[in-house]
Amino acid sequence: MKVEIEVFSAPACGKCSQARERLRAVAEAFGTDQVQWREVDVLDDMERAVELGVLSTPAIAINGELVFTGTPSEKALREAVENRLKRPPS
Amino acid sequence: MSFYRIGEVARSTGLSVDTLRYYEKLGLLRVERTAGGVRLYSERDLSRIGFIQRAKAMNFSLEEIAQLLEMRDDPQHAREQVRELTLQKLRSVETQLEQLETLRRELTLLVNLCRGSEEGCPIIDHMDEEA
Repeated sequence: MKVEIEVFSAPACGKCSQARERLRAVAEAFGTDQVQWREVDVLDDMERAVELGVLSTPAIAINGELVFTGTPSEKALREAVENRLKRPPS
Repeated sequence: MSFYRIGEVARSTGLSVDTLRYYEKLGLLRVERTAGGVRLYSERDLSRIGFIQRAKAMNFSLEEIAQLLEMRDDPQHAREQVRELTLQKLRSVETQLEQLETLRRELTLLVNLCRGSEEGCPIIDHMDEEA
C-alpha cells in the first residue's frame, strides 16, 4: 500500500514552505516505498487544483482527495497517512 | 391581475421599446391591447420575456427561442422536433454550467491567492509576465 500526496502551493504564498517542509518530514519518516509526494504550483496546474476543490494555498491532497486546507500539524498529517496506509510507519 | 405598459416593461427588463415590439412581431410575445391599442403586458408576459432574455444570454437564436417557447406553452403536446431541441439546449446549459463552475473555482482560487499574499497580487504579476 502506498499513498500519493500533492501539496498545492503558489508563488509568494507565505505558509506554503511550512506545509511543504512538514510534508517532507512526514514523507521521509514513512519512506518512499510508502509515501510519494509532489508539489503542485497552482499557477502551473490550475486544472488539477480545481479538480480537487483547492480554493486556497497551501492545501494537501492524499490519493487524489483534498484533505487539508492550510498547514496541518505533523501529527495530523502523519495520522492522515497512517489511516490510508492502514498501518503505522516502521 | 397586474398589467404593465410597454414603457414600464422596458424599464424593468432593460430591453428597449423597439425590442419588445420586435419580439411581438416575431410572435415571441402575444400582448393584449386596450380598445385604444395600448399594449398591456401581464405577469405571464414578463415571465416569458425573462425566459427570452435568459435564452438569449445563452446565445440561443430567436428562432430557437420561439420553439422553446412553444414547448413552454404546451409541453405535453410539443412537436418531436421541439422536444428534441429542448433536450439539446438542456444539455448545452448543463455543459456551460459545468464550465462556469470550473471558472468560478479558478477565480475563487485566484482571489484567495491574492488575499493570502504578503507581496500584493502575485497572480496578476504572473499573468502580466506571460502576456
